[in-house]
Amino acid sequence: MTTIISSKRSFFFPEIVATCLIAVVAIGAVPLVGSDYLMDAVLTPFLALALAAVGLNLLTGYAGQVSLGSAAFLAVGAYAAYNFSLRLPALPLLLDLVLAGTIAAAVGIMFGLPSLRLRGFYLAVSTLAAQFFVQWALTKFGWFSNDNPSGVIDAPVLRIGSVTFTSAAGRYLFSLGVVTVATLLTLRLLRSQTGRNFIAVRDHEVAAKVIGVPVLRTKLLAFGLSSFLIGVAGVLWAFAYLRTVEPAGFNLDRSFQILFIIIIGGLASLRGAFVGAAFIVVFPLLLSRVGAALLGSLFDSGVLEMSQRIVIGTLIITFLIAEPRGLIALWDRGWARLRAASGKAIET
Amino acid sequence: MSRITAEARVLRLEDVAPDDGLRAVSEGRGDVPARGVERAAANDARRVLGLANISLAFGGVTALRDVSLDVAEGEIRAIIGPNGAGKSSLLNVVSGLYQPDRGQIRFGEHAFRRVPTAKLAAHGVARTFQNLALFKGLSVFDNVLMGLAHRVSAGFLRQIVGSPHARRIDAENRAAVEEVVSFLHLSDVRERIAGTLPYGLQKRVELARALVARPRLLLLDEPFAGVTLSEKQELSEHVRNARDRFGTTILLIEHDIGLVMGLSDRVAVLDYGRKIADGTPDQVRADQTVIDAYLGVAHEDETELAT
Repeated sequence: MTTIISSKRSFFFPEIVATCLIAVVAIGAVPLVGSDYLMDAVLTPFLALALAAVGLNLLTGYAGQVSLGSAAFLAVGAYAAYNFSLRLPALPLLLDLVLAGTIAAAVGIMFGLPSLRLRGFYLAVSTLAAQFFVQWALTKFGWFSNDNPSGVIDAPVLRIGSVTFTSAAGRYLFSLGVVTVATLLTLRLLRSQTGRNFIAVRDHEVAAKVIGVPVLRTKLLAFGLSSFLIGVAGVLWAFAYLRTVEPAGFNLDRSFQILFIIIIGGLASLRGAFVGAAFIVVFPLLLSRVGAALLGSLFDSGVLEMSQRIVIGTLIITFLIAEPRGLIALWDRGWARLRAASGKAIET
Repeated sequence: MSRITAEARVLRLEDVAPDDGLRAVSEGRGDVPARGVERAAANDARRVLGLANISLAFGGVTALRDVSLDVAEGEIRAIIGPNGAGKSSLLNVVSGLYQPDRGQIRFGEHAFRRVPTAKLAAHGVARTFQNLALFKGLSVFDNVLMGLAHRVSAGFLRQIVGSPHARRIDAENRAAVEEVVSFLHLSDVRERIAGTLPYGLQKRVELARALVARPRLLLLDEPFAGVTLSEKQELSEHVRNARDRFGTTILLIEHDIGLVMGLSDRVAVLDYGRKIADGTPDQVRADQTVIDAYLGVAHEDETELAT
C-alpha cells in the first residue's frame, strides 16, 4: 500500500514542477524577453490553434464523432464576437467571448444533428455542410460583416475594464489567459461523468445506451461544447492574432489543419492538442529556415508550401499506422524511459 | 378498492402467462399461500421478468416463435440451446435492442411491447454482452463507475463547478464501485486501462459494471464463452456469489451445458426459436426432446450431460 502511495507522489511531483515552470516562463519570461515576432507570429496563433484543437479533440478524440467543420465554428465565433462588440458596445469583452462561444455551440449542435443517425466517414462528410454553409452565409449576407463588400472584419481593441491588450505581448497574454481557463475547465469536465460518458459513447454505443447513458444528448453535448471552444478559439484567431479576417480564411484547409493537429499531437489527449498545435505552427517556420539555408534562393515559397504538405502528409500516414496516439504517446514513452533510467541511477 | 385493482391485474396476468414451472418453484419454497388471488398476486411480486408469447422474425427467418418465460426473484435462470436457436435474440428483446413482432415483456409490474433500452437501468435491469462491450479507453474503475451513469442527474455545468449535490452523488457512486471492485477481486487492476487486460479479466470487469447498480435482474449473454476452464469456474462462482450477496436475479444464456446445469435453478431450452423444455436441471437433463434436439439423437452424450 505504501509503495503505491509513494510511487504516485513521485509521479506527480515532477508534473507539478513542470507545470509551474511552464507557467512562470509563459507569463513572466516570454513577454519580457521574447520578441514581438515570437509572440505575434508564433505563440498567439499557437494558442488559438491549440484551443481549437482542444475543442475538436473533445468531439473527435473523446466522444468519437468526426468533424470536418472546425473552421466554420472558428468563423462563427469570430463573426459573432465582432457583431456583439459592434452592435452591443456596452458588453464587456469577456462576455462577448462567452456569447460568441455560445452562438458557435448552437450552430455546432445544429450541424451535429446528423450524428444521431450517421457515423464515421458519413458523419464527417455531413459536417462538411457546416464548412460550406457558414462560409457562404458570411459572404452572402453583408449584415455579418457590417456590409463590408468582401466580408472582411476588423477586430476591435481588446479591453477588459480599463486595461487594453494592443501590443504583441498584451494580445499574447490575453490569449494565454483565455486558453488556460478554457483548458482547465475542459480538463475538469473530462474528469466528470460527462467526460466518461463521451468515452463510453465512443467505445461502445450500445453498451452505453443499455447502461443508461443518454446517448443522443451526450453526442449533441459533445458537438455543443466542442463548438463552443472552437468558437472562442476563433475569437482569439481573429481578434488577437490576425486582427483582420475574411470568410475565405476559414476554409476547408483550416479545418484539416486542426484535424491534423489532433492526429499528430494525439487523439483523446489535451496535452496532445498543445503539442500538435506547436508542431503545426513551428514546423513551417523551421522548414523555411532550414530550406533557405540548404538550398538558398531555390527554396522559394512555392517549394516551401509543397515540401510542407509532403512532410505533413507523410507524418500523418506514419502516425496513423505506427502510433495512432500521436506525438504525446512518444513523449510519454520517452519520459517513462528517462524516469526509469534515472530511478535506476538513484538506486545504484 | 385496492383489492379490486389487485384482482384485475391478476386476471390479466393469468391470461398472459400461465406458467406451471413458476408455481412449482413457488410452492416448493413453501412460503406462498396456495389460494387463488393471493397466490397469484404473490407470484406477481416474486416474478422479476415475464415474457409472454414473444415472436420475432428477421425477414423470412423466424428467430423466436411464441416463447413464454418467467424468471422468479432470486433465481439463476438459464436458457440453453444450439447455435441459432434464438437465445441472443431473446436477450436482445428483453433489453430492448430488438422489438418483438408479437408478445409482451414485463419487468415486475411494468409491461412493454418494446423495452425502452435507455430506461433499462432505471428499471433495475443490467446486462453483459457476448463479445465484450467494455469501454476500452477507460480504466477498470471508471468502467465500473459507468454502470452508475444513470444515477448522475447533475448537468455538465454543475459537474464542472462541483455542486454539493453532484459531489455527494459522485462520492456515493465511488463507494459503490469500491465495494464491487473488491467483491470481484479487481482491486489490483483498478487503475489499468480496460482494453489492456486479458479476456477473462475483462469479462469480470463487465460483470462488475453490470452489478454495481445492484440490478434486480441481471442478463448475462454467454458469460463463459471464450474463457479458460479455471476462469469459467471462477466466473460461475462470482455469478452465484452475486446472487447470494446482492439478491440479484440472474438470467443467462450459455453454451456450456455442464456449467449451466450446476449453476442454475431452472433451465429453459430453445431450439429453432421455440421453447422445447423448461424446468429444473434434472428435469431438463432427462427430457427426451431436449436430448434429441439439442444433442442430436446420439444417446451416449447423456453421460456428458450428467457431468
